[in-house]
Amino acid sequence: MGGTTTTAPGAAALAVPARAGHRRLPGRWLDRYFIVFAVTPTTLLMLCVFGLPLLFSGFLSFQGWAPELGLFDGKFVGTANYEDLLTDPDFLGSIHLTLIYTASTVAAELVVGLGIALLLNIDLPYIAIFRTLLIVPMMITPVVAAFCWKLLLDPDHGVINYWIGEHIVWLGRPGTALFAVALVSVWQNAPYVSILLLAGLRSLPHEPVEAARIDGASVWQMFWHITLPLLRPYVVVALLLRTIFEFRAFDNIYVLTSGGPANATMTLSQFTYLASFVRFDLSLGAAASWLMLLMSMLLCLVFMTTVRRRDVN
Amino acid sequence: MAALNYVGSRRGKLLFAGGVYLGLIALTAAFLFPLVWIIGLSLKTRLQVFANPPLFLWWPTWENYTAVFQRADFGQAFINSLLVSSGAVSLSLLVGVPAAYAFARFPFFGRNFLFFGLLAMRMLPPIAVLVPMYVLFSKIGLTTTRSSVILAYSTFSLPLVVWIMRGFFEDLPRELEESAWVDGASRYQTFFYVVLPLIRPGLVAASILCLQLAWNDFLFSAVLTNNATRTLPVLMAAFSGGDTGVDWGGMTASGVLVILPVIIFSFLAQRHLVAGLSSGAVKG
Repeated sequence: MGGTTTTAPGAAALAVPARAGHRRLPGRWLDRYFIVFAVTPTTLLMLCVFGLPLLFSGFLSFQGWAPELGLFDGKFVGTANYEDLLTDPDFLGSIHLTLIYTASTVAAELVVGLGIALLLNIDLPYIAIFRTLLIVPMMITPVVAAFCWKLLLDPDHGVINYWIGEHIVWLGRPGTALFAVALVSVWQNAPYVSILLLAGLRSLPHEPVEAARIDGASVWQMFWHITLPLLRPYVVVALLLRTIFEFRAFDNIYVLTSGGPANATMTLSQFTYLASFVRFDLSLGAAASWLMLLMSMLLCLVFMTTVRRRDVN
Repeated sequence: MAALNYVGSRRGKLLFAGGVYLGLIALTAAFLFPLVWIIGLSLKTRLQVFANPPLFLWWPTWENYTAVFQRADFGQAFINSLLVSSGAVSLSLLVGVPAAYAFARFPFFGRNFLFFGLLAMRMLPPIAVLVPMYVLFSKIGLTTTRSSVILAYSTFSLPLVVWIMRGFFEDLPRELEESAWVDGASRYQTFFYVVLPLIRPGLVAASILCLQLAWNDFLFSAVLTNNATRTLPVLMAAFSGGDTGVDWGGMTASGVLVILPVIIFSFLAQRHLVAGLSSGAVKG
């Protein structure tokens, strides 16, 4: 914009190339700031919806804050919120439960997903139909999916009890309730794992398997000693992603059990939600959410270091 | 391809293929049964829903769907969902696509900071952001508005857009942009007239994935909306909260209507969807 004024008055009358250069000047000047314009909005949005809230919740977690107070009017209480949490058997129980829930759902999703991916990787006519149909559960709104299962598992009119021929109150007993919420998640997310692993299987080189076949390896040997090791990076990605997403499980649990019966499905997300938005103890909720945050960061770190160490060796 | 070669004879191959088909059909039946059963329930009258033994063959009725369409709260929630998810997708594309381009092409100050910030945004539990967000939004009067939900959704859609689009930008040969610069186009012209038209498939993939996540989200809108601005998943949870009641037909019909748009949309764009999912996850 400012660049145009430097040209002499008579320059416009000169040859065409000069005029073109003249017109390009403001663009070139702005070009130097292209990256600034490209990156600033994302940085600002990230700070507004992520950085600032996290900092504020860190601050909030050391306060005794109530919704009727002004933003910074809470009383400083030191680590009281954290002490409350870490001596609360319900919270400690929910950490334990979240770890069990995460480990078992992720393991089940990986096994089922790998099975589906291996079947879908075989080239047969019409296999594309199955590829399309099998990923439908993954598209479904989690709340609706959980709601579907709530009706299927209904003790009086549910079709599952009709088939079993028994009157099981699935969501009313601790063991079966945990199984039911995990089942819904596996049903929805095993297809997701299978898509990731199928993409991996498709990208593997054919030569190692061919060589093993010529050497007389069995199908099982080829799978265990060749396909699976080659697929490892994809399995690790699926494992990492699923662990992160199961750790925060909320929707299926909220709809099916809301944490009950007797805290049998009280995961950390559910605990934090109830503390913050049902009991409206937002300081405690902030402390709980920071502990959750630290735990998931720790999970990520552990994963990344183990993956890196294995790759170095 | 490969697996069929393991089996020697022609007879063996046929048997193998038959086994694979059987396995796949059983799996598909198991995975789709809950959905099919729910669609079935939505097409039954109240008496048929609770028939014992359950009815497997009946003459479908549309009465549940007409009842749902007459509900004012369902229509309102549908519009809210539509506004909020398209708003979230537009915001994230507008903000995130240029950043993704910068990530793919240029070194810049704060690149690592932004990278890990976005990674953390995607990976950390949403409830951790939601608690302070609720407090801050309520103090500036933003809670119960649709804008607050759109802003909240950008915590997951912005990283996703940057992630997926970066992959698409990296796959684009640099020579196209370089020749545009040599011909005298500015970086802005190059970006808008050369690069953006070429990565349209990437834009489609990113928008579909974001749209699906935003449409399906429950936690953010459950906390940040009220009865007038709530989205479909929140309405569904309100239907089914606590006791499932007796109106199974109505509830299943609305459930089917909630998931229908995402399923149709995903089918139409399946190729992009699979590419986007795996590129975002594996290459990132």
